[in-house]
Amino acid sequence: MEFLASDQIAIVDLASGEVETEEFSDELCQEKIGGAGINLALYNQHADGDPIVLGAGLFTGSMVPGSCLGVVTAKSPLTGQVAHAPLTQYLGMELKYSGFDYIVIKNAAAAPTMLWVHDGILDVEEAGGLAGLDVWAAVDQVRADKGDDLIQVLGTGPAAASSDLACLMNNYWPSGDRFGLGHALAAKNLKLVAIRGLGLLEIADDEEFVDQCVALQGEVKGGVWAGKKGLLDLAKGMGQDALADWLAPLVHRHRANFNTPFAANSFLFLQGDPSALPEPEEAEMGVLLTDLGAAALFQQMGLELGDAGAILKQCAKLGLDAGLAAKVCLDGGKTDAAAISGALEGLSGPVEGLSGPFSPATPKTAVFGVDQAGDDAWWTRRQAVAHIFGLDPLFVLLAPELSEAKLVELAGIGTELEFSQEGLDAVIAEVCG
Amino acid sequence: MGVKIDPLKCTACMACELACGYHRDDAFALLSSCIVVYRTRDKKDYFGVILKEEEDLVIARPEGLEVKRIGAVEEGGGGGDASAKPMLLREACDLCEDRDDGPLCKQVCPVDAVYLD
Ligand code: SF4
Ligand code: SF4
Repeated sequence: MEFLASDQIAIVDLASGEVETEEFSDELCQEKIGGAGINLALYNQHADGDPIVLGAGLFTGSMVPGSCLGVVTAKSPLTGQVAHAPLTQYLGMELKYSGFDYIVIKNAAAAPTMLWVHDGILDVEEAGGLAGLDVWAAVDQVRADKGDDLIQVLGTGPAAASSDLACLMNNYWPSGDRFGLGHALAAKNLKLVAIRGLGLLEIADDEEFVDQCVALQGEVKGGVWAGKKGLLDLAKGMGQDALADWLAPLVHRHRANFNTPFAANSFLFLQGDPSALPEPEEAEMGVLLTDLGAAALFQQMGLELGDAGAILKQCAKLGLDAGLAAKVCLDGGKTDAAAISGALEGLSGPVEGLSGPFSPATPKTAVFGVDQAGDDAWWTRRQAVAHIFGLDPLFVLLAPELSEAKLVELAGIGTELEFSQEGLDAVIAEVCG
Repeated sequence: MGVKIDPLKCTACMACELACGYHRDDAFALLSSCIVVYRTRDKKDYFGVILKEEEDLVIARPEGLEVKRIGAVEEGGGGGDASAKPMLLREACDLCEDRDDGPLCKQVCPVDAVYLD
């Protein structure tokens, strides 16, 4: 693949420590397009190694609005089914620029291991020194060891070894994984994957592609999300005003995922003045909320916001999915902060009601009054589109301008390959299972 | 007249950085951009944007916009978190002089945080 790609697929066998690379062929892209489509094809091809597949979408890291998404495809310890977990913030983009489009991780290592992915090189390294660290300490340690604070880390925490509620972590914060894939990574003795992307993506017809992206950016700007920012507005846009009011006193600023117009992450200050803007002296000020799931449950339980924030931070360091942990606690009758906090270490599933290939971290209810929101089939199809093309899974719900026809057209302009609606329909059907 | 950034509107999305990289390389890449989001201080929620001009660095910090003479900034450094390629080694902003529509970073910023002043 000459365009919108690095042209390399890595196959890592953790049992032997060997890494093979394959060319990312035009044929594979044309047939499966990208992201979850290709992840799934690689998963099936290497199924005997119980693979975990990391991939970027066709447009990840490009100028198509919302182009942040990376995808992890693996069998969920919680559902027993193959799931596609979303990697937002900067992680998908970093993978795309790392020199690898897809990474297949097979089998299990005998000792704690990490992968170091950069400049088209993939090193399998021992990670004994990281094994006992919490998520935040491990991220800091890897960045210090490699001398680069912009390394993006797909990691796990201490919870991953024993709990099926352990999620994939995106640096210090939870990813959108609701499938317990942190536990799946730990089962392979893989502590983390450190990624740095300094590459370059060629574009087949660059002027036309960029002109169309700029025009699209102009169109989406007038969308339902315009003038709104962060999880407070998102909560209000879902009719959850009480949740927004509960969160508001500690919210500091809102952050977007890579090249994504609507900023869907909000930071809770757990110390200091949330309205203060200068750089704080303290190294840690609080916790980034990347979705509303856990917060909504804690509010429902009647927790104080500060206590809920402390639990979210504890979960982030343990690498525990706070939303699932909150649900298990609620179902088990633990609804006060001390009981929840005390139960986190050692907490595990099962979790009722989890199903499907896409993460419920992206809300299924109508947001900002979008017409078709709340329709399960529509939601699933839009998630498939997001996970194939590498687009923010929330933003695709808010931006009908990112239509399937437009994305198919852009795919052709960007790659010089031929794509069709029928081909996209077939890949959508596959990734939806 | 130059590019300025409203740090309180900015959401650290990096669309401007990507656009500037394209303006330099005719491909998608981030190493050549002269407008860069600094984003490594996640645990403090402290982020902003830094821009290199011919003679100045324009630094959009949450607490306000600051313009620093390049001679007054440490050699090879220049702030921000552009660890792979320090700001001072990057080309200066040329206001996208080859584009009829003007600065590409301004055009793609989804929240109108980039403006000309
Ligand atoms: S495009 Fe706008 S919002 Fe995004 S990082 Fe640049 S200035 Fe900030
Ligand atoms: S005006 Fe052009 S050269 Fe200057 S920062 Fe923006 S994109 Fe880069």
